[in-house]
Amino acid sequence: MVNIKINGKELKVEAGKLILDAARDEGHDIPTFCYQADLMGIGSCRMCLIEIEGQKKLQPSCITPVMDGMSILTDSPTVVSARSSMLEFLLTDHALDCPVCDKGGECELQDMVYKHGPHTGRHAEPKHRHHGKDYVLSPVIIKNSNRCVQCTKCVRVCSEIVGVGVLGSIGRGIHQEETSFFKTYLDCDHCGNCIEVCPVGCFMRLPYRYTSRSWDLKSADSICTYCATGCRVVIEERDGLLVRSRAQLGVGLNSETLCARGRFGYDIVNSDDRLTTPMVKKYGKLEPATWEEAFGAIRKGFRSSSPARTGGLISPRMTNEEIYLFSKLFKGPLQSNNVDSSMRWSPEAVEGFAAATSMTAGGVSIFDCMDSQSVFVVGTQLSDENPVVDYIVRRISNANGVQVAIASSRGMKLDSCASQTLRHAPATEGDLLGAAALLLADKDAVRFAGNADFNSIKATGIDTLAARSGVSRSEIEALVSSFGSSETVGIIAGTEFLRFPEGSASLALVVEALRGAGKKVTVIPVLDRCNQRGAWEMGAHPGLGTAYSREGVKGLGFAGMMNTASEGKLDSIYIVGENPVVEYGDGNFARDAIGKVGFVVVQDTFMTETAALADVILPGVTFAEKDGTYTNQEGRVQSINRLLPPPGDAKRDLEIISTIYNIFSGTDDVPVKKSAGIFAEIREKVSTYAKVDLSFNNEKNTFNDLDNKESLVGGSSASLSMPQVTGSAASSLASDGHAGFTLVTGNHLYHSGRLSLRSEILGGFIKGAIVEISEEDADRLGITSGEKVTVAGSRYKAELVLKTRKGSASGVAFIAENYNDVPVHKFFRRGESVASVKIARS
Amino acid sequence: MSEKCKAKLINFVKKSVFADFIRGLYITFSYNFEGAMTLKYPDSEKWIPYRRFRGLHTLNKNSEGKELCVACELCSRACPTDCITVIPEENDAGRGIADRVAKVWEVDLTRCMFCGYCEDACPTTAVRLGREYELACTTLERGTRSRDELLLPQPVPEALTGGVVAKARFIRSADGIKVVAELGKVRQRKL
Ligand code: SF4
Ligand code: SF4
Ligand code: SF4
Ligand code: SF4
Ligand code: SF4
Ligand code: FES
Repeated sequence: MVNIKINGKELKVEAGKLILDAARDEGHDIPTFCYQADLMGIGSCRMCLIEIEGQKKLQPSCITPVMDGMSILTDSPTVVSARSSMLEFLLTDHALDCPVCDKGGECELQDMVYKHGPHTGRHAEPKHRHHGKDYVLSPVIIKNSNRCVQCTKCVRVCSEIVGVGVLGSIGRGIHQEETSFFKTYLDCDHCGNCIEVCPVGCFMRLPYRYTSRSWDLKSADSICTYCATGCRVVIEERDGLLVRSRAQLGVGLNSETLCARGRFGYDIVNSDDRLTTPMVKKYGKLEPATWEEAFGAIRKGFRSSSPARTGGLISPRMTNEEIYLFSKLFKGPLQSNNVDSSMRWSPEAVEGFAAATSMTAGGVSIFDCMDSQSVFVVGTQLSDENPVVDYIVRRISNANGVQVAIASSRGMKLDSCASQTLRHAPATEGDLLGAAALLLADKDAVRFAGNADFNSIKATGIDTLAARSGVSRSEIEALVSSFGSSETVGIIAGTEFLRFPEGSASLALVVEALRGAGKKVTVIPVLDRCNQRGAWEMGAHPGLGTAYSREGVKGLGFAGMMNTASEGKLDSIYIVGENPVVEYGDGNFARDAIGKVGFVVVQDTFMTETAALADVILPGVTFAEKDGTYTNQEGRVQSINRLLPPPGDAKRDLEIISTIYNIFSGTDDVPVKKSAGIFAEIREKVSTYAKVDLSFNNEKNTFNDLDNKESLVGGSSASLSMPQVTGSAASSLASDGHAGFTLVTGNHLYHSGRLSLRSEILGGFIKGAIVEISEEDADRLGITSGEKVTVAGSRYKAELVLKTRKGSASGVAFIAENYNDVPVHKFFRRGESVASVKIARS
Repeated sequence: MSEKCKAKLINFVKKSVFADFIRGLYITFSYNFEGAMTLKYPDSEKWIPYRRFRGLHTLNKNSEGKELCVACELCSRACPTDCITVIPEENDAGRGIADRVAKVWEVDLTRCMFCGYCEDACPTTAVRLGREYELACTTLERGTRSRDELLLPQPVPEALTGGVVAKARFIRSADGIKVVAELGKVRQRKL
């Protein structure tokens, strides 16, 4: 603590704090351009000059730390005139074409000059122009350097946070221009963060170009629905079209950052292909119908099926309220526990993962996790699946010197921040972690004496486990010793544990062993659908009710329902927002099975392959048209707000589900139009949600207070069990006969499931399906990146474009689950996510 | 006879021959020989207002024929009755002075109060309130005027100061009623 004076007021502040922060905390307004809380300070724009009594020269407050005895003036006449002069200098070469500029009306330079600046300029010299017309830098970025204020925030965000580093400053002085190398077209992550941080109209959104003015837009606070990170976005519409989705500085855990999906995937809402009227099958053909007809058909269809022979699948993109009511509909009036929300994963895998990541213990903030001395990322392609978590890890690990270790089978962007990267064979997270657990538990054997999982691992032995995972024992020892040297360990564990559930037990052992050694372990599950955690906590699981409480009778998971269906024993199914026909493993199995179900209801926003098989189609709405809450992977409950009316005759999903609920409960218990009422019920019935705080400070602020711990769910006393699954992936590979490559899947950086494929902007980033292998493997095969190859497995064969990825393990092929033309699930055996394939030039 | 009696006598004579009445009639009668002060509008004459008049909006072009409007929407923002709609678009073909031009520029005359704020707000002097004032219409759609029409050259050129009465023709057609001024034949208005 040091003693300083700001504008005459005596204060005690932390030593080393920036003068800017100290003054802002006191409520003094100091304008800045180049300063941004998360970025390296460069002190280049000199907007933040302040006077320190006794020093002749003004000092930039954004890079000057406080020192004992300093007396700081933030508004002295010298400071005020310096500010105005800095702005006058900036304007000497500024294009000042506000009427044309897309930033007009929300431009920091405009605001600043209006507030602090000279309202007339004295410079008569011609302005320097970097170029004539605006130039296109990527499918989403259009650039006008004539408006640049040289704050280099774009350059810094791209390299320090996004970790792509494709922007730089060319030239010096007034010739300085922030752009790509040789101003060429960027092959970058298309995240648009450079656009968001630019205070002026230099980096601009191409899709939004000249569509509107900031004051025409109506906006609503929402959440990105493309992964479970739970990034806060503001969605904005003009004349009924969603035209922009943006993030705000200091709001949400993502602050101003988003990934390409979050920033540019909004246009699905505007799609012409949206479902707008209910449809009912009449004489074998789907025909537009009224809601009364649709509900009437549902009443008849479900009434005639017995509880054990009815099932429900709801997408983890639906809100907590919708999923809660959906589960309640099945487990209540329809008396069936056949409810699932994770079509791709088995209910046992879900339970094991929830147990291993201690979801029952309540929400854990990613910032607490990053507060650890070492952080271990495992079972997730973090940089692609949860890009904003990748940003957070990169930013905090670089700033605080956190040791990062990454275990995955594919290379990823985050590798560059890691002190250790382990490349294991696909589907062997369990073996790798098993070996680590054995090493860790060496000293603590008593603790695990009675643990069956531990004993089975022990019987296998460290060396066998290491050999199976393809990682050398010494690397695993290095990992364990990095844990050993840290008091606090953060673990970020992802969806591979759901795809290959045999890993969860080992993960749980590692966590337990570390805790046994007296370390503070923080585990964050990372998921790829926005409300996957919420869906489980709302009881959309055949074996678990709300807040992971155990159901008396275990119902059928989606796989179980499909088995029953294929035997012709499922009378009815209600599918909300999912498209199993093209996303569920093993060729046409789901199509055939659903074809045999007596009565199929599909509720969705688009006409899907599954909807085409339905007896009744109910048009629902997207996130932009409804209210509700999502629970992100950390257990943070955040609300979305409606901005647009439902298109055509479509209804809000909650209204549809409530109506159906009321039909079967025979009451009017559920108010049809209010989601807040349902949330109140959730608070009451789901103990872990009783205290979550939904209020959110959504004011744009200059601070970076990103963590909102009051919105984390509480812990419950439910106990989960670890499923006994061993080596299913390995046996699947063995039965395939190893053909050269092991094919795995996951989400592409630009897509999330099949929904984002409806976005024209995101669709513009990649043309056609891609198979990814390591650079070395490509060299070995003599194929170069960009060539067409044939990928052949024992169940399916397809032609794709080959791309190489730096740092992937040898023998790993990856096809994202997001291609319509090459549905990757066709390569896999049912219920699995790994297969052997051959790759050859076609 | 006293002065008082004389005045009384004269007054009496004047009254008995209706002298004031005749003078009054004379003035009235003399107007029959002066030109009329009213305009023969709409039959054969039309008032051409001064430049400062605030009538129907006009959208203007520069000397090279490029549209001045850059679709900045400031006019629509400034408008107190919210009656201007501007939707921008990109056009590199040189339609306007910048690559940003108006895809839609519409004014709802049924709401407009001709305050001229839009004109004031425009950074490029693209929108001006012109001298067209025959805005009565029989359908509501006609109350909205859009870009294409407002960009047409003005019937009264900028060079003409205005403040004159022009000969005009009254035309009744399927489109409605129009009074077309012949700008060559003008006269001063009687005051
Ligand atoms: S879009 Fe993202 S990755 Fe591309 S240049 Fe901008 S910040 Fe960098
Ligand atoms: S382009 Fe924008 S963000 Fe980049 S230096 Fe210029 S003003 Fe700053
Ligand atoms: S997809 Fe995930 S990381 Fe990207 S913006 Fe959305 S929530 Fe954030
Ligand atoms: S004259 Fe006034 S009311 Fe009419 S359009 Fe212009 S600003 Fe609006
Ligand atoms: S008329 Fe003028 S103020 Fe209105 S949009 Fe066009 S340029 Fe802007
Ligand atoms: S904000 Fe301090 S120098 Fe730019």
